[in-house]
Amino acid sequence: MKGRIIARRFGLIAVLAAALAIAASAGASVSAPDRAAATTVTVWLQTDAQADNWAPIVAAANAQFQQTHPGVTVDVQYQTWGTHLQKFDATLAGGSSPDVIEMGNTEMTKYMAAGAFQDLSSDRASFPNASTWLKGLAASGTYNGHLFGVPYYAGSRVVTYRTDLFKQAGIKVPATLAEFTSDAKTLATKFGSKKGFSPVYIAGTDWYIAMSFVYDYGGSIAKTSGGKWVGNLTSAKSLAGLAAYKAFFDAASRASKTTDETRPNPYDVYAQGLAASMIGPAWFTCCVGKKYTTSTGQFVMPSHTPGQVMPGFLGGSDLAVPIGADKALAVDWIKAYTSTQAEKALEAIGNIPNTTSLFNPTKVNEKAASRSWFVPTSKNWVNVENENILRNMLAQILTGKLTIKQAAIAASDTISSILNAK
Amino acid sequence: MTGLPVESPTVAAESLEARRRPLTRGRALRASVPYALILPVAAAIGAILGYPLYNLVKLSFERYGLFELIQHRGHWIGLHNYGSVLHDHVFWATVLRTVVFTAVNVGLTIVLGTLIALLLVRVSTWVRILLTSGLVLVWSMPAVVAVQLWYWMTNFQNGVVNYVLGLGQHDWYASPTSQLGMVTTLIVWAAIPFVVVTVYAGLAQVPAELVEAAEIDGARPFRIFRDVTFPILKPILLILTSLSIIWDFGVFTQPYLLIGDAHVNSSNFLMGIYLFKEAYRTSDFGRGAAISVLMIGMVAVLSVFYVRKMLKLGDSE
Amino acid sequence: MRTRRASRAAWNAVGLAVFVVMVFPVYWMVTTAFKTDDEIVGSRPTWLPIHATWDHFREAIAGVDHPFFWNAVENSLVVVGATVAISVVLAFVAAVALAKFRFTGRKLFIVLMIVIQMLPQAGLIIPLYVVLRNYKLTQDRYVLIGVVVTYMTFVLPFCVWTLRGFLLGIPKELEEAAMVDGSSRLGAFVRILLPLVAPGLVATSVFAFITSWNEYIFANVLLQDQSKQTLTVWLSYFSGTARHTDWGALMAASTLTAVPVVVFFLLLQRKIAFNLTAGAVKG
Repeated sequence: MKGRIIARRFGLIAVLAAALAIAASAGASVSAPDRAAATTVTVWLQTDAQADNWAPIVAAANAQFQQTHPGVTVDVQYQTWGTHLQKFDATLAGGSSPDVIEMGNTEMTKYMAAGAFQDLSSDRASFPNASTWLKGLAASGTYNGHLFGVPYYAGSRVVTYRTDLFKQAGIKVPATLAEFTSDAKTLATKFGSKKGFSPVYIAGTDWYIAMSFVYDYGGSIAKTSGGKWVGNLTSAKSLAGLAAYKAFFDAASRASKTTDETRPNPYDVYAQGLAASMIGPAWFTCCVGKKYTTSTGQFVMPSHTPGQVMPGFLGGSDLAVPIGADKALAVDWIKAYTSTQAEKALEAIGNIPNTTSLFNPTKVNEKAASRSWFVPTSKNWVNVENENILRNMLAQILTGKLTIKQAAIAASDTISSILNAK
Repeated sequence: MTGLPVESPTVAAESLEARRRPLTRGRALRASVPYALILPVAAAIGAILGYPLYNLVKLSFERYGLFELIQHRGHWIGLHNYGSVLHDHVFWATVLRTVVFTAVNVGLTIVLGTLIALLLVRVSTWVRILLTSGLVLVWSMPAVVAVQLWYWMTNFQNGVVNYVLGLGQHDWYASPTSQLGMVTTLIVWAAIPFVVVTVYAGLAQVPAELVEAAEIDGARPFRIFRDVTFPILKPILLILTSLSIIWDFGVFTQPYLLIGDAHVNSSNFLMGIYLFKEAYRTSDFGRGAAISVLMIGMVAVLSVFYVRKMLKLGDSE
Repeated sequence: MRTRRASRAAWNAVGLAVFVVMVFPVYWMVTTAFKTDDEIVGSRPTWLPIHATWDHFREAIAGVDHPFFWNAVENSLVVVGATVAISVVLAFVAAVALAKFRFTGRKLFIVLMIVIQMLPQAGLIIPLYVVLRNYKLTQDRYVLIGVVVTYMTFVLPFCVWTLRGFLLGIPKELEEAAMVDGSSRLGAFVRILLPLVAPGLVATSVFAFITSWNEYIFANVLLQDQSKQTLTVWLSYFSGTARHTDWGALMAASTLTAVPVVVFFLLLQRKIAFNLTAGAVKG
């Protein structure tokens, strides 16, 4: 009996020991990144850059880079917006991050604060057009006075509209918000009998548009005061902006009051013929459907103040160099990809280039970028977005569940606490 | 899955005999055979999951955010993460919601699956083949595909479900209850085939003579099910129920993709999504780890009843 | 007799109704893949794609925004094939130990198999990536090995557990009878046990296949090079962009992703249905 028990115990112990030994050795340390001889530059760009008209720009930059670095291969891997940060986190933990990564401008702050990127301040002057970089975009790549992200391209929000419907209704491109509102009512009278038709399609919880109204009236999402963040949606100006948004939405949009701007995509609604216009990024013209491509135009969203443009959310991307990457090679590649030539090409396909020196005053989206707003530059801002604070607030306001003031107070308090969290 | 073990008396006697004999080389070698057999599995799982599990538990006691992740080093804070999670009313609300969600899903899956399996027995052969093939098609759909498809069918603008039900432009994703209802429909739909196939196989064990005898005696169908069929199906149903509980409690992909990242918040959190948001969106990996550990504990508690019954069935007789 | 036939007809009707309700979404997916863009976007649903078009399939396979379709097919087949083959073999061996031997730690091992299935996968992604990186399984050609090994750890517990059940269902008398015949334990094993446990092997293979084929979370993080991605990750590119979701192409891509699983399953389905019942019958 003893023998058998001993044998059993040895067996069990042996198996457990083997498993534990393997486990311990596996995770014990994080191996150093294998960058002994850098012969590859790994670049993460978003899938937007894979489009027909964009891919050649990437190819040209690669070719230019390889002229000056003949032995080095460029490996561009395309990521999706939904998952690229999760993958990036994994590579940061494993010490195998790419050499260059495209980050959305709202994604930068959190990672800069966490020390994910290498300091590019010393190279700043040598980047193409650094002195005329688009201010809003450059700000998103700067933290504590140091440069971590190179502006890549920007996008603003414009109104994409059906020229034929406007003509039929006898209206011209509006110059003020009041004019636009009355135009919307005219369109509603003329075409509103069609079920689900919106004179201006805006998704209820599209906070990018709603906050534009807030900033247009001089309000803001949050301010700093004595080193702390204070939610500012409860100020008189912000409340006026929210009220203006509600009024405009009620007059102009038949979209769901609780849904966001991806469900459905505004351009899908437009393509079905159920919208006379829609507010969104300038690239919306890509997807308006074959029927309406020739009868589609764009104009700048007017402010409530005559003669001005409503400030638009300046979206865009920066290019950063994660720690552990080969800085010299990465910087050179970025220089090739953000060269004047490349930026010109990016502008030609409808983006806003990273430098004001290339601005074309007749282009609608660049005109729209002349007044812009950006989210509070706190590393916790991402959490406000993730908690959908603003979206919930808008849904409550539009459905009438809460008064504007009540909803703003609740949202503002939550924003303050999230932004100030350690 | 079905016929459970019979440890015959001869084997039991044999092992008792064996214990009395001295430890010889042959004996030790033979005694180590089972260990050698489970070693590959143990090693494979241990090599891959060993460190992550250890890491999960370790992280739950540390402050480990994005900064610490980049530094590869966390800060020991003892039970602080656990305290913070257990004091968070969102956590408890999510637990409750997930328990209810799991109960509804598992209940519907098992009941509907069993009913369809019983149906399969009563239909003509050609209908049986057709229905089984259909269930196979459903079973083979990847979850990510099913989610895209279901969303497309229920979308606000032109979803076919709205059309068929004559609801115009009903927003199925307007309220948390409605959203979770959509998720339930999707999950139950996808889970039914597995249950049907397994229960149907079990039904083949029900002796036809007993059923006929009961019918001749005049027993009604429900009575027959309760007294003849169900006892035989019991082990299978136990396995299916415990598996379903484990899977449905921690479900992540379907609700996350269907409700959409932008709409997932504390009013419709399920444990799987709550964990994901805490760990990745807010990048508080330590807290995420604490939630993971608590989750494992909860699933264990929920399924211990069924698992124990199964282990007993496996060892007795 | 009449009532029997009438009630059978009634049951048939119910069966057909269940069929229609269950299969409709699949039908919708496949037909949408063939519809024109206008029909897809239109507010009145098109029940039969009379103006069927192959455009979406062409776009799915060769479109610029989501390249490497054939690579993805190959990667998926390789990964899933390896996972299923290795897992079933290893699981079977372990199941034999659990079903046929008594040893210390047996109960513990079984409980472990169950507990592992309870692990929340979301929480394991990053540490798992770190482990694989340390084994050098996250770069280049080895990355698929990393994925296979990962899938194995999640597939093995269920397979071990299920195969144990099948093995326990085989009467000891058969095994003993074979040994009395004079064959060694191994001989009895191969000639008697293996054929009897075949249905269990088939069932676990199918489960392993479906689980691995449809897995997305880990493949997404581990496979960063687009040419190494599996089909489920490839599929995510159809709706992961910030821009236009091409529903037609998405449905076409989804159909393509589901096809191999359906084929595999239909090939084995007869065997399963028959053999699950056979495995259930005692003695």
